[in-house]
Amino acid sequence: MAAAGPMTGSQRRYPVVSARSLTKRYGRVTAVEDLTFSLNSGTVTGFLGPNGAGKSTTLRLLLGLAQPTAGDALVFGRRYRDLEEPMTKVGAVLESNDFHPGRSGRDHLRTLALAAGIPWPRVEEVLEFVQLAKAADRRVGTYSLGMRQRLGLAGALLGDPELLILDEPANGLDPAGVHWLRTFMRRFADRGETVLIASHVLAEVAQTADRVLIILGGRLVAAGALDELAGRSGTLENAYLELTATEAS
Amino acid sequence: MTAQLRAELLKQRSTRTTLWLFSAMLGLVVLAILLHGFGLSAGILGRRSSQLAVLGQGQRLGTLFAALLGAVSITVEFRHGTIRPTFLATPRRGRVVAAKVGVSMLIGIAFGLMATAIAAVVGSTSLAARGLAIRLDAGDYALLLAGSAAGAGLWAAIGVGLGAVVRNQVPAVVGICTWLLFVEGLLFGDIGLSNVGRFLPGSLARAATGQDPLMLLAPSLAVPLLALYAAAAAAAGWAATTRRDVA
Repeated sequence: MAAAGPMTGSQRRYPVVSARSLTKRYGRVTAVEDLTFSLNSGTVTGFLGPNGAGKSTTLRLLLGLAQPTAGDALVFGRRYRDLEEPMTKVGAVLESNDFHPGRSGRDHLRTLALAAGIPWPRVEEVLEFVQLAKAADRRVGTYSLGMRQRLGLAGALLGDPELLILDEPANGLDPAGVHWLRTFMRRFADRGETVLIASHVLAEVAQTADRVLIILGGRLVAAGALDELAGRSGTLENAYLELTATEAS
Repeated sequence: MTAQLRAELLKQRSTRTTLWLFSAMLGLVVLAILLHGFGLSAGILGRRSSQLAVLGQGQRLGTLFAALLGAVSITVEFRHGTIRPTFLATPRRGRVVAAKVGVSMLIGIAFGLMATAIAAVVGSTSLAARGLAIRLDAGDYALLLAGSAAGAGLWAAIGVGLGAVVRNQVPAVVGICTWLLFVEGLLFGDIGLSNVGRFLPGSLARAATGQDPLMLLAPSLAVPLLALYAAAAAAAGWAATTRRDVA
């Protein structure tokens, strides 16, 4: 499963995601420090680290929601905000509840589609795909956590992106939902697209990812193929615990 | 930019907030006009300036609710986290602020027109019911409507700017309410700083309807000055939104 996926149509000269000496400080607190990594297409990369390690900050820097203090955070060789039609390149879900509780799921997606210039029939397609078509007219306030996760994913998929960035996407999903998500991500990557998934659920990542990035205290402590990393210590969990313990002491 | 305007219009239409604000405003207009129309003595209500001031309650409430609508249009996105998907769809954030200003001004104008129209209908009916002559002419009504629309539209833009700077819904809403309902009145009336007070944005919105020509500026001066406030607030909101990180 760790084999690199096929290249997409256009031969790229740049990685799908790249962080170069990426640093973010909030006052005296350094959230991300001198982070350098890159992701190629056709892979699912697990982004691991304890709470507060800088995973979410890194994702926000990649998506242009936060400005780096130093270094670059690039997607498809450019800053997110310089992409022409960002939702057709990158789809992202950062929080599980970024919805107005009084707005219907369908209207939530329609506002995004309008802003991004995506035709409305696509809204019905993604609703069908995440199995929310029947609940689409209900207010999001009545949705379960799992339904919200799927609505968030529907929003990320609106533009049929080449890169998916997901922060704890399995949170709140039932076992069938987790299985569905895993199958979806695998197929997405096998089509040549790219997934970056931040998680602290190691078992989830171990079953889905080809590659792993581990950060601790804002610094990259390991990067590589899942097999290699897990191979050294037996399992991903052992490798993770060793790496995060070494650095912490 | 058209895409962002359409998205912002749908955001306004797809929750009940706008309708709720509109209903609350109309209810308060009717209440305020009836209380004045039947509470004040016939001697006072017989005067033209009093009649103008009573119908002006429509403008005051239209302005207040338009400002709240503008502020909420952006603070609600921070409150519920929709600001993240919004900025992912439109990473050039200046466009989001511009679209919110545009759509809020449009709805604000409608708020100002409706508030004053209802005030005029209820007010003139109340006067007629008490057998008092109406001393306002068509020009007065036209200025009330136009000034109220302009004041509410521009205050909606001020609301968006303030909301974008403050981000937090409760302080933004409380700030607007205290400013319009208390602070300006304090500066203007209670301690008599009318030379300063009449240049403040709430007084300018009132002046736009032709109220109190001895104390307030003329509408032709008040509206451009209020437009400057609106432009400054929108620019501050734009700067804050494009520069600051989103958590």
